[in-house]
Amino acid sequence: MSLRNAQRTVAMTAAMAAALLFGTAPAQAADVLKIGISAGLTGYAATVDRAWRDGVQLAADALNAKGGVMGRKVEVVVEDNRSEPQEAVTAYRKMISSDGVDVFISGCVSAGNFAAAGMVARAEKPMMLCSILPQQASQVKWAFTTLPPAGFEVEKRFEYLRDKTQIRKVGVLHDPTPYALLQKSVAEKIAGKYGLEVAGVESYKQDDADLSVQLTKLQSAGAGAVIKIGLGGTTLTAAKNMKQLGSSMLLMTSLEDLAVFKPVSEVLGDRFLFVASPSQVFDALPESATRTEISKFLEPWRAKYGDRDPNWASRGWDGVMLTVAAIEAGKSAAGPSMRDRIETITGFQGTTGIYNFTPENHQGITANPFVLATIADDRVKIVQ
Amino acid sequence: MTSSPNIISRKGPDLRRVFPVPAQPAPRNRLAAAAPWLVAACIVGYALFAGGYPATVVGFALIYAIFVSGLNIFMGLTAQVSFGQSAFAAVGGYASAILTTQYDWGWLPAMVAGIAAALAAAFAIGYPTLRLKGHYLSMATLAIGLIAHEIAVEWESVTMGYLGISGIPPIDIAGYELAGDRAILIMLSLCVAATVFAVSRIRSSRLGRAFAGLAGSEDAARALGIDVARYKLVSFLLAASFASFSGSLFVHVVGYVSPEVFSLHMVILSFTMLYVGGIGTVAGPVIGALVVSALPETFRAFRDYQDLAYGTALILLLIFAPRGLAGLFAALDRKPSSDRGKGGTAP
Repeated sequence: MSLRNAQRTVAMTAAMAAALLFGTAPAQAADVLKIGISAGLTGYAATVDRAWRDGVQLAADALNAKGGVMGRKVEVVVEDNRSEPQEAVTAYRKMISSDGVDVFISGCVSAGNFAAAGMVARAEKPMMLCSILPQQASQVKWAFTTLPPAGFEVEKRFEYLRDKTQIRKVGVLHDPTPYALLQKSVAEKIAGKYGLEVAGVESYKQDDADLSVQLTKLQSAGAGAVIKIGLGGTTLTAAKNMKQLGSSMLLMTSLEDLAVFKPVSEVLGDRFLFVASPSQVFDALPESATRTEISKFLEPWRAKYGDRDPNWASRGWDGVMLTVAAIEAGKSAAGPSMRDRIETITGFQGTTGIYNFTPENHQGITANPFVLATIADDRVKIVQ
Repeated sequence: MTSSPNIISRKGPDLRRVFPVPAQPAPRNRLAAAAPWLVAACIVGYALFAGGYPATVVGFALIYAIFVSGLNIFMGLTAQVSFGQSAFAAVGGYASAILTTQYDWGWLPAMVAGIAAALAAAFAIGYPTLRLKGHYLSMATLAIGLIAHEIAVEWESVTMGYLGISGIPPIDIAGYELAGDRAILIMLSLCVAATVFAVSRIRSSRLGRAFAGLAGSEDAARALGIDVARYKLVSFLLAASFASFSGSLFVHVVGYVSPEVFSLHMVILSFTMLYVGGIGTVAGPVIGALVVSALPETFRAFRDYQDLAYGTALILLLIFAPRGLAGLFAALDRKPSSDRGKGGTAP
């Protein structure tokens, strides 16, 4: 190769290398309201975050059908963070600097949201999250969540045990995710208030194929019910293991996809109980403001997705509607205005419950919206 | 593991003749040698100019360049294998995070403490482990990475488990906080330059020649008087210190650390960077880190097909540049007719 050819090759390669990152010119149109979602569309959070994304998109479509927000069309920008914190930082950065999003309504990957929270706060963009809130006060200032407090799911199960059973000893079985750890701490703290004793605490990994050891330990400790905390296929694993062990313990799981519960109820029957959000038990709900609000979401949801679980999608829908309420109240989609207005939202009826934000409380659901349910004759039935 | 280092000694006998190591083509003029650096400079220059999202992508790539340069010492120059380098990045990252947020240490002493801890861990692990060879060594190092990840998850009182550690301060120099995209990028570029200089010096030193010796044949190296176990350990320690350095940089740049950061994904990504860039070369880890980081971002617009496009691009790269991009640039400078039938041709 001659020197000239070599130079040409180097120049072309260099140009191509630089071009790898071109095409990322910032673009922002004043007549468009851009909602950014950093979601784990792949990786461990995929099931939940895909549902969250679809709920946000459904809300955006519904708003656009009515003419948008203050005359602005709503556009949803979704970036896959692969359920990894580093990818989330890159995704957030792209949406801030290249896509020019106005607000984030991001998914349930807590670590990803934590990793990017400082950057988002510096960019003065509010985040309405599916996950728990970041830990730093300066970051919480810009972050809000639709997630009910960790204690609510635990309290609902403890209430049932206190009121409707003779069981006074429970075992806690949890995965190591942040939300599950918070629930575990709450369970240990409040059990006494319900006249219960935590006989044992065992942990598992989301990909564990056998939970016999943990369940045997809890049973040996005298637990009459297993308070299972965490997502994924392990609920069915636990149910099968309990049946194999001939255990008589109740299995009481936290909020999860309804599709997971049907095979579990076939294994354990009425010894299986689960925490459900209002949208998951819509057909069993009495007439109420919550039911009316859920129906606004559930009608287009069922039309598009059939009997797919609506829980996480409904919270995504709530995230959009809360943001729109803040924009309309402040008549502005500027980050600081949205943030300030979200803090003043009280008594907002969403699909998951009533949201009450304050400057001190960025976790909007303050009253327990959950029910305890079981599956009987292929139908979801509320028991508490 | 039989990767092929390209060691060109400035003094003494040509090791390629002494040991049956397939040699890499040597660039015949400075332009070809400078080509990968020019490409790297273009990418970093563009990121500096554009700031924002490209700066973030390239920033992460530069941190990985340091990590992979360390891995290259062990895998490229010494021809050993380690699936556990993420453990030492975790040691550095968590040491910096814990010492700066919980004990109010400055970033520099915390980083130095992290490197010291990584070296101590690497010595304790490497001393018995590096007596293993081939698949046994691979499995042992894989276990190191998995154990470190488990410790980060389970030792909640210190690492905060999956909740992670937030609020890690950015690096500051003389009271100036490096929090902006461009400031971070300049700082990381300087760190990469220092790393490249160090690796280059190691490669051409007596130490580097010993590494090359045991890379070609441990028995032959032993016959020549090279203390194989000792030099393998030194190589492992050097790789661990660079890994720890990169882990510390990561947590200060992002301001957050959790166990997912140092998962098996990090190992797979760094291996990809090393082989795409060119194992055994000084430029390879840098160009590999930049290209492998930029490629998936280029394909973001493909949405659900992003991984497919990225995978295809990687396969094409490895088909047409089996010695990595650094090797490709060197090969561009050679006359095709003179390549055929020579040992330097890529297999």
